Amino acid sequence: MRNDLKPNQPLSEAQRPDDFRSRKAIRRAWRRRGLAGLAFCCALALVGVVQAQIPPLTRADRGEAFVPDPSIIERITLGFDAVLSDYYWLVAIQAVGGSAAVDANAGGHVGQLIDVVTTLNPWVGHPYRFAAVWLTESEENVRTANRLLERGINHHPEEWRNRFYLGFNLFYYLMEYESAAEQIQAASGLPGAPAYLPRLVARLRSETAEIDVAEAFLIELVQGTDDPVLQEGYRAGLDEIEIERKARFLDEARKIYRDRRGQDIATVESLREGPNPVLVGLPSPEPDSLPVALSRQSRWLLDDEQDEIVSSFYGSRYRLHFDAVSRAKANGWAAARQEGTLHAEERGSL
Amino acid sequence: MRENGDAVVEVLDLIKDYRPGFGLRRKRILHGVSFSVQRGEIYGFVGPNGAGKTTTLKALMGLIQASGGQARILGCDVSENDFREHIGFLPENPYFYGYLTAREILDFYARLSGLDGQRRCRRVPELLEWVGLGEASESRLRTFSKGMLQRVGIAQALVHDPEVVFLDEPMSGLDPIGRKEIRDVILRLKSEGKTVFMNTHILSDVETICDRVAIIVEGRIRYEGRIEDFLHEDDLMSDVVLSYLPPELGEILEAKFGARVRGVGGRIELRVREKQVSQLLRLGLEAGAEVVSVTPHRVSLEKIFLEAVSTSSSHLIRNESARKGERS
Amino acid sequence: MIRMRHVWPIATNTVREAIRNKVLYALLFFAVGVIGVAVVIASLSYVEGQRIIQDIGLASIRLFSLGIAVFVGVGLIHGEVERRTIYTILSKPLSRSEFLVGKYLGLLMTVWLQLACMMIAFVAVSLATGAPLSGGHVAALGLLGMELVVIVALATFFSAFTSPLLASLFTLGIWGAGHLSRDLYALGQQSGNESFAGASTWMYRLLPDLEAFNVSVQAVHGLPIATSELTLPILYAVGYAVALLIAAGWIFQGRDLK
Repeated sequence: MRNDLKPNQPLSEAQRPDDFRSRKAIRRAWRRRGLAGLAFCCALALVGVVQAQIPPLTRADRGEAFVPDPSIIERITLGFDAVLSDYYWLVAIQAVGGSAAVDANAGGHVGQLIDVVTTLNPWVGHPYRFAAVWLTESEENVRTANRLLERGINHHPEEWRNRFYLGFNLFYYLMEYESAAEQIQAASGLPGAPAYLPRLVARLRSETAEIDVAEAFLIELVQGTDDPVLQEGYRAGLDEIEIERKARFLDEARKIYRDRRGQDIATVESLREGPNPVLVGLPSPEPDSLPVALSRQSRWLLDDEQDEIVSSFYGSRYRLHFDAVSRAKANGWAAARQEGTLHAEERGSL
Repeated sequence: MRENGDAVVEVLDLIKDYRPGFGLRRKRILHGVSFSVQRGEIYGFVGPNGAGKTTTLKALMGLIQASGGQARILGCDVSENDFREHIGFLPENPYFYGYLTAREILDFYARLSGLDGQRRCRRVPELLEWVGLGEASESRLRTFSKGMLQRVGIAQALVHDPEVVFLDEPMSGLDPIGRKEIRDVILRLKSEGKTVFMNTHILSDVETICDRVAIIVEGRIRYEGRIEDFLHEDDLMSDVVLSYLPPELGEILEAKFGARVRGVGGRIELRVREKQVSQLLRLGLEAGAEVVSVTPHRVSLEKIFLEAVSTSSSHLIRNESARKGERS
Repeated sequence: MIRMRHVWPIATNTVREAIRNKVLYALLFFAVGVIGVAVVIASLSYVEGQRIIQDIGLASIRLFSLGIAVFVGVGLIHGEVERRTIYTILSKPLSRSEFLVGKYLGLLMTVWLQLACMMIAFVAVSLATGAPLSGGHVAALGLLGMELVVIVALATFFSAFTSPLLASLFTLGIWGAGHLSRDLYALGQQSGNESFAGASTWMYRLLPDLEAFNVSVQAVHGLPIATSELTLPILYAVGYAVALLIAAGWIFQGRDLK
């Protein structure tokens, strides 16, 4: 190959060996490099300092969490529906992540998110049940969850769990026993459904022993999921039922007290006080499964307003339906628990 | 157009209009260009930059569509494809895929030209050797110099052994050695019986190798004919440079030969007719001068070329002044 | 007349150009990386992780195939004209249409090659995470390949007469509109306005119906895919691409190459 066709070009500044340049020039070059380095470090530092001033709030933190209208986003996914659905699913998980309970507002948010998730990809499985589990704080939320479960049933007609959850919601929160029984009956005929479902239907139809039905539901729910968060939620439900059973036992004792003494108890402690006490001791006002370390030093209290015996652990009696008054009070108790004071206790001891 | 049975390229009244942009007025680039190229000759298509040389060649190659007139190569209209098996084309400053090696690109063009595997295996190395790229055949084209690319361009134009070869400014941008090599290639093609059509604005190349020329200025053919027709014996001049000349002799020579004399340092330069050269030299040598150089100078082509260009530019100037007059 | 002996060298050379283009490797590397990262993203969800991995995998294959097709496709013809490599090629005995078809097939082969590479990554990640693979996945990726038949034809079509920037805008625009065309049609039908309904029907007929090529949800969820859901889109893609290429040929035929 001839290389004479390429003319010789003068070496550029960078190519020229150092000894061609004067010392002054070299010094100048180093000074330039040093200044550039300094400027670079300053710029980096500026970025770091400024960013530290900007709070890293997400939109959800600022209360601006935006959930698109499912009917609109459904049209503009450009073929990426499944992955967008997954995205909103992950957002939904983050929205409840860490919090043991979801308040009614956040519940609505989760409901919107799951609506988007299941609109974009109605063949998802778990998100329907996820909605059922988390949307429990208001009747509106539960109705949303039920709508989503119905969508799940339409797309997975062979899946017994969606019907089971729907039945549970109808029974547990909405007290629509007949509808609940229908759903559980339908679920019992589907592949993989547990054998005791028909018995559950019978109990629902008899409209008795609701606490037993709830317990049966919850035990099944605990066993039916691998999700540790959900399991914890169901176990909490079972704990609540345990306390309710104890409270009902105390109710009976209170009745006997009244019969014997002709007057009502002043405090729950009265049941084991005085000569010939009704009870030798009181049952623990906290769930048996609660580790000692997590004990809140709860006590049995007499709720004047409702005229019931309640455990300060929950602050209200177990209800299968939504009751605005008791719910509001329960929230008040919860707030009080956090402050470490128990106003109701004082009230109860009046 | 010249009547001839063996015309390889025939162009008749070729017109090309361009619209420089949306909504702008059409601009005529070729105003009825006509010429013909005979089999076996080297045809020079000469003109200043922007005269329409490349436009004409592109129309011949089917790269642009003529707005009017006819162009035929080997008897086929240029809008057809099949005659292209018999022609080769080297564009001005050719560009090739930089990611290919010289051998790969020639193989590619050979396949496009319809050569089967066997013939490609034989033809490609042979041609690379022929254009002097044998050693560089496995190098990527992006590492090639302009001269090497020009040789790749020549090789691709010849890969299928065409009858007619079209070259657009084959010598432009090359160093003197490169130009000489390309000139040799062209003469060799002629000796093999090929027809060569070349665009150029380098008159010395035309004079040395072309059989016939056409001069195109501003989209019109000004002259077409054989080189010899331009070069009447009377027009053959030579430049003689003498030194150590006695000062008075200059005047004598000037008077005697009627030549233009220019003094450069201790030398003088005279332009005389070719047949007067020996007489002049004899006189000079007798007077004790030394001969520095004798250069034959063919004045005619350049003269005609300059004439053609200047008449049209004066025409242009006239037109403009006329337009200005209209406006005022 | 399109003769394969003219088309084939152009096509194979286009593939070779792509193979020697480093930018494409970067894109491919990135795509494979995203398919891998899907594993990390999916771990954010405590359930149905395998499904999310496959959703992300298929979506990134779709996105990057589109990107590569548009990125390379829009400069396909324009680049040849701009670099003037086309001068010498068209001086050979091949027609402009053959050149166009050759470039198209070359790009299609390139995009399919990249698709195959991404498929390998997808299968590897699925196997590694135990996500189920079925005939549905083959169908989904095959139909994606057919969608690319249309996208590459669009890119080639626009590249035949406009600059890469405009061509990519047009191609991406039509890609988006092609995914919306069914909704546009439905909107027209629901509107009750006759002229709007007519216009929307025309738009639906004219635009490529790209949703027809999207069965990835069915694939991931193992839902049944009817034979007609495969054969009809394939025929549709071939017909649409041929029509586009013929139109591109007409336009390109009349173009002056400056």
